[in-house]
Amino acid sequence: MTGWEELVAAALLGTDRRPPGVDSLPGAVRERLDADADPARLLLDAAALSATYRRAGRPALRDLEPLPAAPADHRPAPRTGASRGLAGMLEGRHRTVLPEWLAVLTDRGWRAPPEHLPALADLARTRPELRELVSRAAGPRAAWLAAANPDWSFLAEHEHEPVDQPDDEVWLHGTPPQRRRWLTGTRRRDPDAAREALAASWPTESATDRADLLTLLAQGLSAADEEFLEAVLDDRARAVRFAAASLLQRLPGSAYQHRMTERVRGCLTVREHVLEVSLPPAFDESMRRDCLDPNPPRGTGERAWWLRQLVEAAPLASYELGPELLDLRVDGYDAGQLRAALATAVVREGSARWALALLEHGPLPVERIAKLVAVLPPADQAAAVAGLRKAGVRTAEQFTLVVSALPAPWPADLATAILDLLSQATIDDTWSKLASAAARATPYEVLTHPITGKPPGEEYTWHRRLIETLTFRRAMYEEL
Amino acid sequence: MTEDRWSAAQVLALAPDAAAARAGQGLASAAVWSATGTSGRAVWGRCQGSRATPYQVVAELDGPAYRCSCPSRKSPCKHVLGLLLLWSAGTVPPADEPDWLPEATAPRQRARTGELADPEAARQRAARRADRVAAGVIELDSWLTDQVRRGLSGLEQQGYTELGRLAARMVDAQAPGLAGSLRRAAATVGRGHGWPGDLLQELAMVHLATAAHARLDELPAPLAETVRSRIGRTVPTASVLTGGERLTDDWLVLGQVVEIDERLTARRLWLRGTTTGRPALVLSFAPAGQSLDAPAGAPGAVVPATLSFYPGAVPLRALVTPAEEAPSYGARWAAGTVTDALTGYAEALAADPWLERWPVLLGDVRPARYGDGWALVDAAGNGLPLSDGTDPWPLLSVGAGAGLTVAGEWNDRYGLRPMTCWDGDRAVVLP
Repeated sequence: MTGWEELVAAALLGTDRRPPGVDSLPGAVRERLDADADPARLLLDAAALSATYRRAGRPALRDLEPLPAAPADHRPAPRTGASRGLAGMLEGRHRTVLPEWLAVLTDRGWRAPPEHLPALADLARTRPELRELVSRAAGPRAAWLAAANPDWSFLAEHEHEPVDQPDDEVWLHGTPPQRRRWLTGTRRRDPDAAREALAASWPTESATDRADLLTLLAQGLSAADEEFLEAVLDDRARAVRFAAASLLQRLPGSAYQHRMTERVRGCLTVREHVLEVSLPPAFDESMRRDCLDPNPPRGTGERAWWLRQLVEAAPLASYELGPELLDLRVDGYDAGQLRAALATAVVREGSARWALALLEHGPLPVERIAKLVAVLPPADQAAAVAGLRKAGVRTAEQFTLVVSALPAPWPADLATAILDLLSQATIDDTWSKLASAAARATPYEVLTHPITGKPPGEEYTWHRRLIETLTFRRAMYEEL
Repeated sequence: MTEDRWSAAQVLALAPDAAAARAGQGLASAAVWSATGTSGRAVWGRCQGSRATPYQVVAELDGPAYRCSCPSRKSPCKHVLGLLLLWSAGTVPPADEPDWLPEATAPRQRARTGELADPEAARQRAARRADRVAAGVIELDSWLTDQVRRGLSGLEQQGYTELGRLAARMVDAQAPGLAGSLRRAAATVGRGHGWPGDLLQELAMVHLATAAHARLDELPAPLAETVRSRIGRTVPTASVLTGGERLTDDWLVLGQVVEIDERLTARRLWLRGTTTGRPALVLSFAPAGQSLDAPAGAPGAVVPATLSFYPGAVPLRALVTPAEEAPSYGARWAAGTVTDALTGYAEALAADPWLERWPVLLGDVRPARYGDGWALVDAAGNGLPLSDGTDPWPLLSVGAGAGLTVAGEWNDRYGLRPMTCWDGDRAVVLP
């Protein structure tokens, strides 16, 4: 028992029953005690001296292993105002602006203030869309933080791999995220090598990995990939076959596209300004192999369902008339269904000509309208949005749905048009969602729109939120 | 006679319980008061409560003694606390004592208004106060030895209540410092299997204060001041400014710690003289929910100022008189090693064994895992553990393993609480 423990034991029992033993206390303590004192006082004196002796004598920790240091981040830290803006967003003010803030920060060559990286990483844990942005803002600290705290391991996944050192060991024995990174990087440098590596390991990959890795070939897709993809159409797993079909649909001049063109042309005949549609008579094995689905959803006829899939999957080049096809009267099939199916192909191919024509030809499901507008060149988007009522968009909600689907930032004309509209709108909840979308997507050059000069009002309305967010974003661009 | 006003913290320390403190803060608004005044000896006013007739409220500062016409049996009641908070904020005007004052404070024997400036009376009051404290301290000392004689195991059941009662008794005896120590001792009872050792350590330090108080006259003057302040005597601001040790330097603001509890918001601002190396502590208090005064400088600022130190064996606490020059940032100053920090701490403890926190400024320290937590290691391989209560990640992220300059509060039991670190020339305030 140490001297201190003896004191505690005596104090617990009471000095009446157990006199304090002070002999094993350090000499420096003992020599200051009055052994003839009352035992209780002696004990308290000894305890006070020992406690202070221990406190003052606490040694430094030894044999600690400091963590290795991250490589230095040579980017400068942003100005104080910008850091304050970030701190505010982390506390919840204007948090919708955070992705933009991070993008502007790194684009302009700043590093994130490192004290905020832990909070950013915690946020990115639950919001995967932030991960790459946070990782870029963290720079060399990303991998360090990922290693120091397993909760943030995702930060390392977005790390920029050194391009000149492909490590084939990673492809053979790495974790799934590492292998994805390897394949993405290799595909970027040498598309053929990436495909060949995938083909070589193909028999040993699980169905999930096959489907997952195959989608990475979308980058750098070329005719050289066709033979491999065509073979994959015979894969055991449905998800893998569908992944291959979706790539072949995008490969101009592929045999897959030819087969689809043949099929769709067999169903459409143009005669005297009338498009005559004859539904496919039967579902054959070759259609199944090309990932068409024989079984219609409830409420759709079997053959109408087959046609719809054909139109969705076939390349736009199948239609010799081009978008003028839409001017024809349709016989034998619902014209609206046909336009909706064509819209899928138009969005896939990103054809502005077709998109404009489809939007001019009237009612379509709102979700598809949104995607078609996104296909248009920025200069045409404002006009298209202005003409949306023609395309069947009637309510503020639908209007919002369309413009919110456009990638941010919006073209300047469009943003100006929307802010003009909102300047005149009544302050009720109808416009609140459109206002949130505009707050986020208004581009830098329109942040000075006259609406920001209006008094925001005392109440916490969408109008005030919009003005505050636009002002906050303007400050962000000035500070970063 | 001019009596220094008490701080809000001192007033709230008088509250018999948290509910009274809260209610008192609610009444610290000029709107509910009328006919307030202070003669330097007493503070009075009328408070419009729930009844038609306003309550007559008087606090005699000497004593202190309170009278209020409300039916509450708490003493001081919320009206007295509200009045004193109002006075502490400087919003009670000087005035002649009204006629009803003697009646309200009866049956206490009081000096008449005309005799207030009598130095003999002032001396007598001071002597009475000293007697009161001495009586309280003696009572506490004998209670302590009694407990140790009978065994601390007896405190396991009723210790928390018993120590709380004793703390309240010390407040009455104008020894709020001892009251605080006893409340801390109460918190250790039954907590974790090592509680007897923790309790013994707390009680032993209380005993050290009571034993030292018994022979105040024999102690060197600075140590006697330390003992008095541990017991709970506060030194008036004016006497610190006029009679305290003064030191002019460029003071680096090491950082700050703000603690918020249900009664009070308190801030410790730590400074260090860039040429003298002298550490200093500036305390600020505000009632809960109200904001603190602006600090002398932001962490990392170097503030040219004259500091007036409170007396004591380790004079740390100080008042700041800023010089005319503006604070500067990013200046170079020397940070120390872990050994420097521990040596400074040991020397300070040797002079003031009750010292709880010591400011340290460490240079070139790196993070290392230590048990379930973290430690900072200097270039010589010496380390200090971080306290459990701190979020280490902002600090770790700033350094990312590289050597950092870190300022913190050191306590051997709880570890290092980092306040500020430097990212290049930029001071980063840590949570």
